[in-house]
Amino acid sequence: MAAPQPAVVVKRRIIVAALASAVAFSVIGARLVEVMVLNGTGRPAAVAALPGKPTRGDLVDRNGVLIARDLPVSDLYASPSVFADPAEAAARLAEATGASKARLQKAFVPKKGYVLVQRALTPDERDHVMSLGLPGLNFEKGLKRYYPSGRAVAHAVGQVDADAHGVSGLELGLDKSVRGSHEPTQLSFDMRVQYALQREIADTARKFHAIAAAGLVMNVHTGEVLALTSLPDYEPNLRTLGEGDSIRNRITQDVYELGSIFKVFAFTEALEEGTVRLDEMIDIGKPLRIGRFSIGDYDDHGHSITAAMVFADSSNIGTAQIGLRSGAEKQKAFLEKLGLLTPIKTEVPEIAAPLYPRRWSITETATVSFGHGISVNPLAFAAAAASVVNGGTKVTPTFLKNATVQHGERVISEETSIAMRQLMRLVVTDGTGSKAEVPGYEIGGKTGTAEKPTKHGYSRKLQITSFVGAFPSSDPQFLVFAMFDEPKGNKESFGFATAGWTAAPAVGRVIARIAPLLGVPRNEHFQEVSTIAADVP
Amino acid sequence: MLRILNVAFVAITATLCVGLYRVAEEARVTQEELRTTLAAVAQENDDLVVLGAEWARLTQPARIQALASRHLKLADDPSLQLSSVTSLPSRSMPVVPDNAIRAAKAVQPAPMQQAHIGYPGT
Repeated sequence: MAAPQPAVVVKRRIIVAALASAVAFSVIGARLVEVMVLNGTGRPAAVAALPGKPTRGDLVDRNGVLIARDLPVSDLYASPSVFADPAEAAARLAEATGASKARLQKAFVPKKGYVLVQRALTPDERDHVMSLGLPGLNFEKGLKRYYPSGRAVAHAVGQVDADAHGVSGLELGLDKSVRGSHEPTQLSFDMRVQYALQREIADTARKFHAIAAAGLVMNVHTGEVLALTSLPDYEPNLRTLGEGDSIRNRITQDVYELGSIFKVFAFTEALEEGTVRLDEMIDIGKPLRIGRFSIGDYDDHGHSITAAMVFADSSNIGTAQIGLRSGAEKQKAFLEKLGLLTPIKTEVPEIAAPLYPRRWSITETATVSFGHGISVNPLAFAAAAASVVNGGTKVTPTFLKNATVQHGERVISEETSIAMRQLMRLVVTDGTGSKAEVPGYEIGGKTGTAEKPTKHGYSRKLQITSFVGAFPSSDPQFLVFAMFDEPKGNKESFGFATAGWTAAPAVGRVIARIAPLLGVPRNEHFQEVSTIAADVP
Repeated sequence: MLRILNVAFVAITATLCVGLYRVAEEARVTQEELRTTLAAVAQENDDLVVLGAEWARLTQPARIQALASRHLKLADDPSLQLSSVTSLPSRSMPVVPDNAIRAAKAVQPAPMQQAHIGYPGT
């Protein structure tokens, strides 16, 4: 067979080369089409994931006001070996960063490697350090959780650890949803209401030299906690507690005997079960003796008064009698239905379990009816009280913004709820809560002065005073609770430190301040609509 | 014919080389610009984050209250000036004569009545 002609060979090679080139260009062309047309997002992937994004989402109040945010910070390291004068560099860095001058001077040994100068420098501090013009400095970027409102909602919001994991409060309770989120989490708080509550509670606590105080504002239909304060508080932006500061949240972590404000439930139960008529006369002339115990009243209310005035004047003798009509079993079941005998479930994880008698006999039934012998936390109490005044449906407290009305389980009838609102209004118009009255706001409430238990029994001097108020009482929208631990009487209160002198006026002032903010305007022309007469012969 | 084709291929290859170089260089410059822009965006974002937090700190009600108390001569009674639409008289109600309004004196409402002095009990 003859060998092919050279020209034919060259031609064949050229064809092969041309085909190879065509294939190569086709591959490149196809890839270009894929990258530019098929996968084209119009935006480089790098832009979608900007560096320095927070690792925890913002926490904001119900109006979008910032409560917690991750801020970019820098950790500063220095290499002492490059400093011409390590002592001077230590002094200048200490001044710029707030680090200890003595520590830096000791650490700046020429042959030493990198030394940590200060953690979590703010951008301003970083710029200041840069302006020093020192060599051998290294900034490591990081994030720090910052709480712009400081002490205002410290207890409820809580804190995170150095690895940005929630360790307390809502930071812990909402950890899963907040961590890694780029969307802000809207809490139920209203920072304006929070300020008004905190200011009044703090002012009153100062005026009566209380060792601690707490307050709460709740929407009675949605269960949203609009404000929560617990004193003493602490500064969440500092890693250490100041003198007198406390991380104890007295609204959720403390259980205590609430005293007379618990009478709300005794009367609710009695009305619901039909064991009392509000115009019937109750004999309260003599202390009530049950076995070796004697139940007395704080004040002399006369020989006999109406059941309504038993509530308004807060008679222990009268309330115990009414409580005993229902009996232990029914009382326990009713309190259980209101959620007072089980730890409440909400987003704040630090919830104290209630304490109640294991053996619920006749004595316990009598004392529980006026708020002794049972200890609950104020949040659980507020939720149960909200269920009583909101028309009778069970409320679960929430710290997340949730504008929808809860349609919880019905715990009492609408009629009982209306009667209880009228009774609570009577407390303010004719009873022990008169100092909570603010013209135009139609406040209803209940006072409670509980004696604190000591080694030697209950102390008449050491008291916890509380007031729960709801407004407007004809159709309550919000509930305000205030508590003062060991208030002392002053000149202005003629030496008295009971709830009527301490907690009731504080709640009145809070309501006068927050009602316009919450869209409840002052109405000076409202008519008292009540089927309950203050004085029945 | 082959020569023409060869020249054409060489010319195309040379053109493509120049074009490819230009594209590569443009991509490098764009990449650099993108990196700079991304750094600037990140810095702006950081600044916005910090300024947002600073704004929240400066507009705290407690701070505004303290500034207002120090610099403004306003009464500390937020509910005094507020009313609702429902409190306004309706059209059917008799209109107050203009001269009566002009003659009216601006009287501050009486302070809250003190409750009777006594023992409020529990």
